[in-house]
Amino acid sequence: MMVSQKNSQDTAKQGLTIAVAGNPNAGKSTLINAIAGSRLYVGNWPGVTVEKKSASFDYGGREISLVDLPGAYSLSPYTQEEVIARDYLVKERPDVIINVVDATNLERNLYFTLQLLELGIPMVIALNMADEAAQKGFRIDADKIASILGCAVVPTVATKKEGLEHLMETAVSFAVEPGEHSPGFISYGEDIEQALLPIADALKNHPEVLAGRLPLRWFALKVLERDERVLDDYAVDADAPQIEKAVKHLKAAHGEDQEAHLADTRYGLAAGLTREALKKPEIRKKELTERIDSVVLNRYLGIPVFLAAMWLIFKLTFDIAGPFTDWFDGVTSGPLSRWAEALLLMAAAPDWLISLVVEGVIGGVGFVLAFVPPIFAMMFFITLLEGSGYMARAAFVMDRMMHAIGLHGKSFIPLLMGFGCNVPAVYATRTLENPRDKALTALLIPLMSCGARLPVYVVFVGAFFASQAGTILWSLYVLGIAMAVMMGLIFKKTLFRGEAPVFIMELPPYRMPTVKNLLIHTWEKGKHFLIKAGTYILAVAVLVWFLLNLPWGVENKQDSYLGKIGQISAPVFAPLGFGTWEASASLITGVIAKEIVVSTMAVVYTPDAQGDKEEAVPSFGEDLRETGVSFAGALREAATNVFSTFGIATLSTEEEEGAEGLRTIIAQAFTPLSAYAFMVFVLLYMPCVIVLIAMRHEFGTWKWAGIAIVYQSVLAWTAAFIVYQGGRLLGL
Amino acid sequence: MTLADLKPGETGKIVKINLEGALKRRLMDMGVVGGTQVRVEKIAPMGDPIEVRIKSYALSLRRGEAKSIEVEAGSV
Repeated sequence: MMVSQKNSQDTAKQGLTIAVAGNPNAGKSTLINAIAGSRLYVGNWPGVTVEKKSASFDYGGREISLVDLPGAYSLSPYTQEEVIARDYLVKERPDVIINVVDATNLERNLYFTLQLLELGIPMVIALNMADEAAQKGFRIDADKIASILGCAVVPTVATKKEGLEHLMETAVSFAVEPGEHSPGFISYGEDIEQALLPIADALKNHPEVLAGRLPLRWFALKVLERDERVLDDYAVDADAPQIEKAVKHLKAAHGEDQEAHLADTRYGLAAGLTREALKKPEIRKKELTERIDSVVLNRYLGIPVFLAAMWLIFKLTFDIAGPFTDWFDGVTSGPLSRWAEALLLMAAAPDWLISLVVEGVIGGVGFVLAFVPPIFAMMFFITLLEGSGYMARAAFVMDRMMHAIGLHGKSFIPLLMGFGCNVPAVYATRTLENPRDKALTALLIPLMSCGARLPVYVVFVGAFFASQAGTILWSLYVLGIAMAVMMGLIFKKTLFRGEAPVFIMELPPYRMPTVKNLLIHTWEKGKHFLIKAGTYILAVAVLVWFLLNLPWGVENKQDSYLGKIGQISAPVFAPLGFGTWEASASLITGVIAKEIVVSTMAVVYTPDAQGDKEEAVPSFGEDLRETGVSFAGALREAATNVFSTFGIATLSTEEEEGAEGLRTIIAQAFTPLSAYAFMVFVLLYMPCVIVLIAMRHEFGTWKWAGIAIVYQSVLAWTAAFIVYQGGRLLGL
Repeated sequence: MTLADLKPGETGKIVKINLEGALKRRLMDMGVVGGTQVRVEKIAPMGDPIEVRIKSYALSLRRGEAKSIEVEAGSV
């Protein structure tokens, strides 16, 4: 049954493909970062949002392309990641597989190894975390594993870059002469082998096998297991008499379920191999992980520890990011705008162009930059939580509660972060593996009242509810959470009807993530946001400029396109108590970011407010100096915030300048009831454009963003309607 | 008896998984196969899911699934 196609015809080619495969938490990511370093390219696998890391480089005169496969427990795929890993291995057939095996968890890793070997691709095992295994007193006979499996075994410590050179040398030498290094034959026992022979015979003339694109043994095994994807992909009739006859004996001896029988067999072999190759100390010491878990997962302490950790991360994310956001804002709206204006004036540019560049383009850039600090900070902490092993514990602690509304334990963290800013929260959903959990979580995030909605509340609460400010604010946050619970239950029964994904999750040992890994992941996410999302946001900012300023030269904002749209859409809001063009225009611009509702109101309600803005214009040199000084200030402030996290300053309720004037006007334009209905509407209505773009970016489709727009608009209108009309009925 | 009946600290041996299809295969891929020793380590603060030690690693699963895993109590 030894099958080794493809090998001969490829030896001549120069480029070699090395696939890095392995169980999750085996240290694959660290290993590939250590090997490829800055040559690593991070993208997505086609059509899905699973991260794809790859690197191309020269190694001893050969062009190597290194591909990191998503972590997998099995080649009978269950998760999206596993489907990708298997499809790649089967369809792309790399020249060699580097199989990263966690030396401290040999048996389960060897189970996966056996599945990889079925593919007939030369394999080098990186016996990783060799130091940790040694520390536990494990003695692993690498040569024995190598000789039994017919592959090479190289002990490595990826975190310390040990053994990696030898690993690469071996892998390349295997890839160069694949014929010499085909994996050995491992018998799955008399019964299975007897059944495989006629199946292989029936499949051997399949065009894919003849073309050398499909390893026959693997193919026969999958047909025996009745793997649906394989049967579909290669149009195999598993009930054909020849195949049926072959499995008859197997069925008689082991029951109907061949898949389970094969899993049993593979685990039996993995267990046997582990017994032969691994010597463990007689008495198992209580490991550090278990000692930490006895506190972190403790019945009484588990939840408080989790909440404390979340509070700390929330504070750190938004407190570190805050000063830098302000700095970006200050630089783009200050010096950058002034220089651009000066340059354009020198070039005798028309007024409208100056306004477009300064308010539209530079304003838009400033807007994009403002989101970079929190996204960087958020991704840093998410990576830290995942890399350290705590993320799985967080899911374990919170799953019961989240499961009740159809979510996964891991959904809690993105939702919580939503209170700071929905945008990094949407990116944080990448910690959820299952696409269903991920989409549902992302749909509920916008109901978490983010920091940008606070300025709107502050103005309205200040105008109407100054005496019960706390209660009113609190009621809005609670309303958002209640709506999330309700929508979660509704979505579970409608959009996501059907089998809820289960919770079968490894709790990996705690490990210290390497700084390099943390930085690479953080940087990659921030970079993607800047480039991909940045472009869209810029376009939207320019569009809004057009709406607000065209036709060019409008004196009264009511006559601008925005004003016209406001007038047309105002009747929609009449039943909610705020059917004025000013209110609807503010809500429209608020789609860019909800705090803009306030600044638009300042413009539309107070047409002459722009009056005397004469101020001393700083020189270019002063500007430069000021920019540097303010950056240093931002650094200092971020650092202080880290240490003074105990001061509640995150959701600073500072008001915009001139807010007092606005408050007076609003006190006349709204009633307390319509003001509350307006706040409810602002809380619930469609997410801001940046959130939508983040959703598009994270899911690779506009579908979820579209659903969010529709359901939230309906929800917001209905809720505000109930508040306003209900309040009127009650005589408020 | 099932895995859900074991209390923290108790050990059992997997007898059978009373599930079908992908879910059963997943559990088997994670090492929940007949004859394997399993020990319940912890129950989450809110009562679900549970943590078990199997094949020398820590696995967590919900009670719902644990109820479908038949075990033989005791041993070792």
